[in-house]
Amino acid sequence: MPLDTDPHMDDADLLAAYARGDAGAARLLTVRLTPRAYGQAVRMLGDTGEAEDVAQEAMMRLWRVAPEWRHGEAKVTTWLFRVVANLCTDRLRKRARAAMPLDAVAEPEDPTPSVESQMQDDARRDALRLALAALPERQRIAVTMRHFEGAANPEIAEALGIGTEAVESLTARGKRALAAALKGQAAALGYEEG
Amino acid sequence: MTNTPNRNGDDAWIDGMLDDLACMPVPETPDDLMTCVMEDAYGMLPAPGGRVIPAPWWRQVVDGIGGWVAVGGLVTAAATGFVVGLGGLDSVGVTTPWTMTYETYYDSPGSLDAFGWDMEEG
Repeated sequence: MPLDTDPHMDDADLLAAYARGDAGAARLLTVRLTPRAYGQAVRMLGDTGEAEDVAQEAMMRLWRVAPEWRHGEAKVTTWLFRVVANLCTDRLRKRARAAMPLDAVAEPEDPTPSVESQMQDDARRDALRLALAALPERQRIAVTMRHFEGAANPEIAEALGIGTEAVESLTARGKRALAAALKGQAAALGYEEG
Repeated sequence: MTNTPNRNGDDAWIDGMLDDLACMPVPETPDDLMTCVMEDAYGMLPAPGGRVIPAPWWRQVVDGIGGWVAVGGLVTAAATGFVVGLGGLDSVGVTTPWTMTYETYYDSPGSLDAFGWDMEEG
């Protein structure tokens, strides 16, 4: 590892170092960012195999974009979040086209509460993932950045290139759309109507 | 597990679902994945001294000054200085339309524009 690669450097500086051919920067960025991309993909897809593919593809795009990266225009983690989110959405939309309706899912053979509860949790998460994938991109990014990354309004605004005031309304519209999409499946997801 | 969505508070219901998804345990990043990503990184590593596109000149200036907040302060200070400077012209003997008395105004070339009537009428 070259001596000029400081482990405390920020991601953008490391990316610039990578673009100058610094192998140490490649290693540090891989260690810092791959688990982050993988974790996000697992949450969004619920499938570790697919999440690995998405994380690898997102990191590949990062290496590709490194020489053209403009310092100060975006945070590397925000850029990566967006790439992972879009890759996951593509996969979820393909999945949705081939999906069975929730009512058609077979009852568990072992109806003990833990198994049944686990299946219901999985079904609820899957339904939410599909509903997220159906949102317009900006609403989806705003909602997921807020909840998955704990991002504040200014950070979301920067990622989307909009004013801070617009973030609240974008997030609220996203949640309303999610509620509308999921209400019809309330019973199947374990929610009581009424 | 059965939950009841709050019909008057969709946000809380959805927030709960989103938080549940956000908090779900994520397995350790597989070593195979780390190895593959590292191999990709080394495979695409630019030659030493590879090209990095510099930030645009205006961004370099803004960053050099100290960011957008500093630019805002600088603009405010410059505008304030300009206004204060205009107000102080009178004290150094420079005559300007906004520091003239009636007497100096009548003698100035500017008084010819409306024969002074506009000022007399207030």
